[in-house]
Parts: sequence; C-alpha cells; structure tokens
Amino acid sequence: MQVQTHVDINSEWGIVAARQAGRKLAREVGFGSVDQARITTAISELARNIYLYAKKGQIHIEEVHRSGKKGVKIAAIDNGPGIKDIRKVMEDGYTTSGGLGAGLPGVKRLMDEFAIDSVLNEGTTITAIKWLR
Amino acid sequence: MDSKIREVILQNKEEIITQWLKEIPKFRMEDSLQNITDTMYANTNREFVDKLLSTVQNSDGDEHEYGSLTLFTERLIQLGWPLNYITRGLQEFRKITVLTLAKNDTDYYQSVELLQQIENWIDEIVNLLVNEYSGSWENTVFLQKMALKELSAPLIPVVDSISVMPLIGTIDTERAKHIMENLLQGVIEHRSEVVLIDITGVPVVDTMVAHHIIQASEAVRLVGATCILVGIRPEIAQTIVNLGIDLSKFPTKSTLKKGIESALEMTKRRIVELED
Amino acid sequence: MRIPILKLRDYLLISVQVELDDQTALQFQEDVLSKIHEEGSRGVVIDLTSVEMIDSFIAKVLGDVVDMSNLMGAKVVLTGIQPAVAITLIDMGITLDDVPTALDLEQGLDRLQLELEG
Repeated sequence: MQVQTHVDINSEWGIVAARQAGRKLAREVGFGSVDQARITTAISELARNIYLYAKKGQIHIEEVHRSGKKGVKIAAIDNGPGIKDIRKVMEDGYTTSGGLGAGLPGVKRLMDEFAIDSVLNEGTTITAIKWLR
Repeated sequence: MDSKIREVILQNKEEIITQWLKEIPKFRMEDSLQNITDTMYANTNREFVDKLLSTVQNSDGDEHEYGSLTLFTERLIQLGWPLNYITRGLQEFRKITVLTLAKNDTDYYQSVELLQQIENWIDEIVNLLVNEYSGSWENTVFLQKMALKELSAPLIPVVDSISVMPLIGTIDTERAKHIMENLLQGVIEHRSEVVLIDITGVPVVDTMVAHHIIQASEAVRLVGATCILVGIRPEIAQTIVNLGIDLSKFPTKSTLKKGIESALEMTKRRIVELED
Repeated sequence: MRIPILKLRDYLLISVQVELDDQTALQFQEDVLSKIHEEGSRGVVIDLTSVEMIDSFIAKVLGDVVDMSNLMGAKVVLTGIQPAVAITLIDMGITLDDVPTALDLEQGLDRLQLELEG
C-alpha cells in the first residue's frame, strides 16, 4: 500500500507539522538517519518558502516506486505570486527574505530529483524525490 | 537496402510516422516513463522516429546518419529511458513499416500477414531475453556496489581523541557519502578531537574528489572536531595546485607520521622517549 | 515555548531540547542576548545534541546569535551537532565558517576557556 499524507501550511506551525510528517514517512520507508535529516530539512525549506512568499499552500509527502526503487516524494504547492526568475532563485546566496539564500539550491542538493513549475501570479509547484539507496 | 524498397518506404514516410506515434504511447505506462512531461515525451518520440527513418535515407553506409542515431541513443540512456521501451518501439516500427508497405500493394498482403505472426512470436522472445539480461546487469551492478561499500574506510581510533581514516581506491559521489557518514559517526563514537584522513591510497585527486574531502572536513568541524589531511604525495600536491583547488582552510601534512605528531600537539601531548 | 538558559560563573549554558520552530528560535536569540547583557557573561555554550534538524533559517538564527554575542563581548561555542545534521548543512552549502564548535558540553567549556585565555 502506498502511504501519502498532506499538511496545510498557513502558519509557522504548519512548517513544524510538515517536517514531522516527513520524518515519520522517511523513517517508515526505511531511510537512515542522515537521509531522514535531508528529507526533513528539504520539507522545512519548502514549507517555509510557502509561508514566506505565498502565505498558504500545501505540502504533499508520499512514498513512490519506480523501476524497483523506493523513495519519498515531496510536493510543495501554492497559489502564490509565482517565481519571476527561476534561474535566479537557484543561485546560491540569492535571497529576497534576508535568509542565507541556501533554501532552494539547498533542497536540490539534498534530494535526488528536483523540479520547479511556476506561473507568475498563479502559483508554484515544486517537487522533489529522494531515492532509497 | 534495395533502392526500390527504400523509395517505397520514403513515399510512405508520413503514414509510417503517424501510425507509429499512435501506437507507441501504449508502452509508456508499463515502462515507468510517466514522470517525463508530455511535451518532452512527444518530442523525443518524434525525434526517435525521424532518426530511424533517416537511416533509410542514407543506408549506403553513410556513417554520419548512424552516428546521429548513436548520439540520440546515448541521450536516451542518460535520460533514463529503458532499453525495453526502445526495443519495443523498434519492433512496432518494423511492424508498421511492413504493414504500411503491404497495404499499398495487395500482392504482398497475404504473405506479410504470415510474416507478421512469426515476428510477433519472435518479438516476445526478444523482449523476454532483453528483460532477463538487463535484470541480470542490474543485479551485477548492485552486487558490485555492495562489495565497494564493504571496501569503504573505517575510522580507526589510535590514541585517546585521535583517529585515522585511511582512504583507498577511487572515490565517487556514492562512496564519498558513505565515507562521510562513517567518519562523523566514528568521531562521535570515539570522541575524537582530531581526525586524520589519509589519502595515500587514493590514486587520483581531481576537483570532484577534493570537493568531497573538503565537504567531509567541513562536516567534521561542525560536529566539533578537527580534520588533518595526510598522505599527500608530490603528484597529488601538483594536481591540487594546478587545478586551483583551495585547501588552505585545512591543515595538511605529507605523511601520517607528521599528521599524528601535530594531532598530539593540538591535544597538548607529545611522544617522549623513556630514559632508563 | 522558551529554552532555559543556565548561568555558570562567567558562562551561559544552553541545551536545546525541543524541536526549533521559527518563533522559538527567534525568542531564543533574544533571550540569549538579554541574558548576556544582564549577567555580563564572557562565554556561551549552546548544546545541540538533541536537535534533529537545522534548516537554513535556524542556521541563520544560530549564526546571528554567534555574531551578535561576539559584538557584546561574549564568545559562543556550538556543541553536539549530530552527524546527520552536519551532513545536511554541508549539502546545503552552509558551513558556519566563523562559528567555533566542540564535540560536547565538556569540550565546549574547555574550548571557551582556551579562546578567552588565548
């Protein structure tokens, strides 16, 4: 059976709830402590981005299977302002929030697969997958 | 190829393409290509069939055309399109080509049907074999990976607060991750204040390997210990400098012996000879 | 939620035992600084042994605490960062370069002593 869970992000507590849900699922899928931390951190970054830029949205976390591999897929979905320059947000050190600018490029490095789908003034969907080694 | 047949194929080119593009998506589901976008999928299929037909156009042994098919295949492999999908696509292409040509010439129609039945039967077997083969390749690769993992370096406590990790063999990303986890777990376990990473046994240090080593040292620093890089042979020092890799943030020593000496110094100890 | 800050002679000892949400992290930053001010502390050890995750926001808050404390004349040492947390930070490109670290609380105190004397 496939496990799937989703968390609404509309306050800072949503960020905590999302990463706890992520850690739980990552543990159930069989990830070790380091990958659990990677997945949890990636979720935290994505959830915070939703909270900071779109105010509200959702984090979907599910177990995925592909050609014999098992993994965890995160999808961060919002109907916020969208990302104007995707290339720019993927640069290390670029920030509009006064943060470290490590968020999105960081998530990409933490996970195995990463994709951004963003339409200006309509919203952003970011998906990322981590495969069990 | 017979020039007449070639001509007929080229005449029916558009019909073959249309038929093929109509048939091919039925293999998409079972071959786990769902995560590729529809546009990407359609474009790649279109390019695939074009490349196939272009080999007909220049089948007088013009290497250039096969060259571009080879390049295309390499790209498919990199994108992770399964071999399965490619062979089935080819088989479908053959069926459609034969059928299309036969339809336009009723004389052939009867015999083509027989031919096609035999082909179906053979194709089954080809699919089975390819599946078997690739399954066994994956298995071999998996086993080798496991073997390589076992080769990965352990962290050896030498004296209180000082540990050594000897690295042997080529370091790829996968192994680097494993080494890093071992290293940090060991640092905590043995309460090591100083860790010596010995790269005497690493044949080549390129930017990638250096990057992994730098990352490992940074992680070691975060958990609260210090890393010393030892075993830097002259040729390694040369490549590191020539490649412009900056290791100045980390203490380095040419030999493990010198490394241990400075590790002792850092932990306020030294080796003394006993007098009788 | 507030993280307790203990005073030991010239030092402040803090063991973070809760999952850090943004608000708690910011409150913590404020509490540490006012405690340094109140007590005139010369050194701070922040123990992170129980922290299972540090994302870029919390990393920034921690880095800021270190810089701000330095401005107020107190040295800060972070201790007990877990391997999984360290690897995740490195993966994200966060190295916390100017932040002194130590394996545990005990070595953290030694390190502070060293930094303050040297």
